[in-house]
Amino acid sequence: MVPTIDGKMHHFNNVGLYDALFIMQDSETKTLWNHITGEALYGPLVGRSLGPIGNLLPTNVKEALESDPKTQVAISDRPYYVASKLVSGLSGTPDPGAPRNRLAPDAQLNDSFIQTLGKEDTRRLRMDMGLGVWTDKTTRYYPMSVIRDRGRAFVDHIDGKRALIYIDPETNNPAAMFVDASTARFERDDIRLDNGTVVRSGVLVDHRGKPQTTHGPQQMFTRWYGFALTFPGTEVFGQ
Amino acid sequence: MMPQISPARVRNVLCAAAAVVVMFSYAAFAQRESLPIDLPNGPAKPGFDVKRLSNVGNGHFKTFYVTQTQPLQQALNEGKVAADTRVLVLSTASGKLALLTDQMSFHHLAQGTAGGRTWMATF
Repeated sequence: MVPTIDGKMHHFNNVGLYDALFIMQDSETKTLWNHITGEALYGPLVGRSLGPIGNLLPTNVKEALESDPKTQVAISDRPYYVASKLVSGLSGTPDPGAPRNRLAPDAQLNDSFIQTLGKEDTRRLRMDMGLGVWTDKTTRYYPMSVIRDRGRAFVDHIDGKRALIYIDPETNNPAAMFVDASTARFERDDIRLDNGTVVRSGVLVDHRGKPQTTHGPQQMFTRWYGFALTFPGTEVFGQ
Repeated sequence: MMPQISPARVRNVLCAAAAVVVMFSYAAFAQRESLPIDLPNGPAKPGFDVKRLSNVGNGHFKTFYVTQTQPLQQALNEGKVAADTRVLVLSTASGKLALLTDQMSFHHLAQGTAGGRTWMATF
């Protein structure tokens, strides 16, 4: 997203919940904004958006460097984990006293969150997880279970373009990338496409192993409720 | 009227609200009171129901204002990150930038300037 409005950078904070999703506000105008679409929801800047929206792709250090060795990193002062050890931000030194954040694979929404929900789309379970993609013309949700059932990699069409939908074997994150191929299959940890290219460590390479430039639709690894409430009437792949 | 959530209720909140798979520091989230939201007087985007807005989490998180970066390879070489450290990668005007997923689970928002252009990441 681009936080500059009329030539001035605005400063944003998360201030609460709406549709059980975090909602952000800029300090300059107090306008509330959708953190997924960048649209103004309430306040003087309604009608504006913080576009263009870019992807924030979940991966790991190894794959980020495979994709682009020149990648930079920004490290804040917050504690984080390195090889199962908690370290302080910036310094990278051990900080055993800090609390550990934790993954919540079986998370449930508590009442405080539920009361902010709008009318839910019941085609999937609320906390179902999947890959949500959207373009100017299409919004589509790929349930993780469906991606797995399709062999963890397959080619779909999005706005007339062929797109590889897959689950990265190293990070277990779902992802989408536009490709010039019709079929895909896993061979160990490689995804082999029928045009001779291969997705290896999250990077599309040609038959000689040379990395190829790739693009993908706007996408996010998401809970069903969040995607469905953000994009009402979204397509659901496979149903 | 926007509902205000009591500290007792906040203590019961299981943090699962972000759109993506998110880790939260539950203890840090639960032990603090959420601040009221300083709301303008509208207008609302059609369909937005301000009565469903909650202040849960307000004041708990701090936006990460990025003022310095370093090559990811260098951070790996120095042991600041490991090969399997989870990151979130975005494209900026000066190239790819990785943010640590653990840290973004707290910040949720990061802002900065690269190549003369501002950027913001939301998580």
